[in-house]
Amino acid sequence: MRSVSDPSALPASVATPSPDRWLTTRRRALLVALLIYTFLVGVSSLETGIKILGADTQERLFSAVSNPLAGLFVGILATVLVQSSSASTSIIVGLVASGAVSLEAAVPMIMGANIGTTVTNTLVSLGHVRRSNEFTRAFAAATVHDFFNVFAVAILLPLELTTGALSRIATWISDRLVGSAGAEWESPVKALVSWPIDRFRGLAGDLGVSDPVVGPILIGLGLLVILTSLTFITKNMRRLVANRVERSVNAMLGRGGGLVAMTLGVIVTISVQSSSITTAILVPLAASGVITLRNAYPVTLGANVGTTITALLAALAASRPEALTIALLHTVFNVVAIMLIYPIRAVRDLPIRAAEALATVAATRTHWAVGYVFGLFIIVPLVGIVVLR
Amino acid sequence: MVLSFFRRGESGMDHITGRIVGMLGDARHSFDVATGAVLHGVAVEQAADDIRATDARINRTEHELRRELIVHVSVHGTADIGQVLGHTLLIKKVERIGDQAKNILDLALEGVSLADAPDLDELTEAQRSISALFGEVAALLLDPDADEVERIRREARAMEDHHAAHILELVHSEQPGYVAVPRAVLHRYLKRIVANLVGVALTVTDPLPPVDPRP
Repeated sequence: MRSVSDPSALPASVATPSPDRWLTTRRRALLVALLIYTFLVGVSSLETGIKILGADTQERLFSAVSNPLAGLFVGILATVLVQSSSASTSIIVGLVASGAVSLEAAVPMIMGANIGTTVTNTLVSLGHVRRSNEFTRAFAAATVHDFFNVFAVAILLPLELTTGALSRIATWISDRLVGSAGAEWESPVKALVSWPIDRFRGLAGDLGVSDPVVGPILIGLGLLVILTSLTFITKNMRRLVANRVERSVNAMLGRGGGLVAMTLGVIVTISVQSSSITTAILVPLAASGVITLRNAYPVTLGANVGTTITALLAALAASRPEALTIALLHTVFNVVAIMLIYPIRAVRDLPIRAAEALATVAATRTHWAVGYVFGLFIIVPLVGIVVLR
Repeated sequence: MVLSFFRRGESGMDHITGRIVGMLGDARHSFDVATGAVLHGVAVEQAADDIRATDARINRTEHELRRELIVHVSVHGTADIGQVLGHTLLIKKVERIGDQAKNILDLALEGVSLADAPDLDELTEAQRSISALFGEVAALLLDPDADEVERIRREARAMEDHHAAHILELVHSEQPGYVAVPRAVLHRYLKRIVANLVGVALTVTDPLPPVDPRP
């Protein structure tokens, strides 16, 4: 007879502690705090590395993004490559903080990051491709996010280029928080996160390594640290709040509503620091019919707003107010997009109708789905960058 | 509702297991009321209303739990997939027990009453044992214990054999149909309920039947 004293007698969920059981909630929370610090060091390292390169090199590297459409495509492609708008917008904040990319040039890149981040849940939806009904629901739930973000950019990018409305709002807020552009901002955490960078530069100086070498090393390290730490922050935060997310989703499904769902999207995304995780959770729920497209839609909009928290966090490590301005612009862009598109039913339904129409076609012609993903997220941005640079 | 994110509370598989135990409690209630109507002369119409309301609650809980299991997998990934699939089967078994209790009620609605039958004591003892089994299985779900699963499996096997023997005996008996058939049908439902309860208990150690092909 099997005994409870024999762990092999019971299923893992009953008897055997998972390998990371030692990582208690408190320890995991501490780990996340450490990872956030590491992430900020990464942003600071990127900023310092680019500054070291000097104005000429910066001009050569980033002149291509002075064209707004090219900037938009760079934003899309960079986000698709790192599969995270949190990572790409944090890098953009670092570039703006270093002065390599102007605020005006960064705006389309931020908007592109918003579009690029939707690739993850669209890819997740392709997993249902063999079951037509399931796939139709999953693909529609994924692409409604794409369409909303594309519509938002179609409305707000021209408006921003012609009037500068979004940057003015973001600058107004930024001015009140940290002071005017051009000045050095005494970020409360800047000194803390600069310490390892200064030590590294000091060590490199002692070893006789010149700035043209140190600069690219700091940039490479910065990018690596940003991407790695964000991955682990997301992973650990997901574990920390998974039960809360589950409880909230169940509560929302019981008595949902647009604003409630949107708020939930904001909270969950802030918690896990990734809109992709929030929206990817919705795809299997939509595929199985547990949540309707109309109920999933506001959650994705909330995720758009929630994901901007990471860039705001990254701005804490920056020394120029413009870094905070671009991070705020990301938030302002998403909030204004919701305010323009969501309140009026006819306009609000446009992304839903577009997603449903595309999903219906894609369910019968699956190569359209694959073509759509490659086209929107890779081919169009790539061709755009090549043509417009 | 949004605040539920910030509140402390049970969630995940523990929460789902807790709700399944509640569902099992409802199924036990249906069973007790239905057998009460057949064996102890409980007012049939009153019992029918009670059982229908309880069954509606069981069915509603089944749908909600299926949804919660999908949400669990969507949020947590495949870490608990074995347990989730096991619970999916388990929910179905509890729902079936609710249906079998309704089948017993149907006997009462058809006018079957064994309140004055000579074998009432034996049937009452069987009813009590099964009702107690509901409680033991529920306790097992909340506090998994492989030894207890094995004990329940042995005892339930004996109960199933007991009912099977009665069914066989009644099938070949020369008693009139109005005596033999209701008893055979009742024993058949009692046997199925015991089998489903064992199935629920077994998910504690074996959420899914193991696949172990021999070379």
